[in-house]
Amino acid sequence: MLNQMNVRGLLFDPYNNAYIVILRDEQHSDMLPIWVGKSEASAISFALEKIAPPRPMTHDLMKTLLDNMDAKVISTVITDLKENTYFAKIHLLFGDSEFTVDSRPSDAIAVALRTEAPIFASGEVLHKQNSEELERWLENLKPEDFGKPDA
Amino acid sequence: MAETNTLIPLKVHGVLVDPNTDTQIVVLRDEQNSEVLPIWVGTAEGTSIRLALENVIPPRPMSHDLICSFASHLGFSLNKIVITEVKNNTYFSTLFLAKDGLEKSVDSRPSDAIALAVRCQCPIYVTPEVLEQRGGEDLDTWLSKLDQKGSEQPEA
Repeated sequence: MLNQMNVRGLLFDPYNNAYIVILRDEQHSDMLPIWVGKSEASAISFALEKIAPPRPMTHDLMKTLLDNMDAKVISTVITDLKENTYFAKIHLLFGDSEFTVDSRPSDAIAVALRTEAPIFASGEVLHKQNSEELERWLENLKPEDFGKPDA
Repeated sequence: MAETNTLIPLKVHGVLVDPNTDTQIVVLRDEQNSEVLPIWVGTAEGTSIRLALENVIPPRPMSHDLICSFASHLGFSLNKIVITEVKNNTYFSTLFLAKDGLEKSVDSRPSDAIALAVRCQCPIYVTPEVLEQRGGEDLDTWLSKLDQKGSEQPEA
């Protein structure tokens, strides 16, 4: 099952010196935080804020190239989460055929925002995200975090 | 746009990291090693070019790998890139794409163009006008300063 997600914003994570893209499923209010690098974050924020840079940035070039090749972005899907790495797919329509291209979510989101294509997340990713987050939280727990049972 | 026969083919000689700023320098040279064209690029673009030069395959596709992936899925090839112009210290370049004899040209920053050219192994050209206007002396001064400091110069 696919859930349509909206980009709610970008946060800076000072501990990892990285940025977090917040995706949200408006229907079920599921949140999907995705950590991205600085240049990917700026590619996303330029599109969110509709800033047209003086020279085309890499994802603007990506869009221009797709336009020139007469290919249309149908949708982007965050498909999987493995060992803290998200996987995404970009679905293209070219002629009468559909092509699926493997991508990082940061590129998929940056392209989706520029081509006004919808962003989806698989139900599995949303589910795994919750459980992985819980696991990470559990891993970071120290013995002293647990309450001492009364003797 | 100059004709192909007046264009000068260049090779990527290496990518230098400018330790003082958040930029990297792509050094292009001609086949006789007589001309040098340094182009300042952002960290992400410089890193992308270096990874491709060193044949490093990252675990997940970088943005330029994704562009190559689009082209190969759709059957387009990158025939050549041309660094066409320099205006107010900004270089301009054009990508030449082809499919079934149909050629398309797309405006791009040289950093993206070079990152794609090294991945697609397509030739890189520069117009004679750009070589005339380049800031080669700046690079020599910059390099001599760097040598004195003994900083390392990563090369391809």
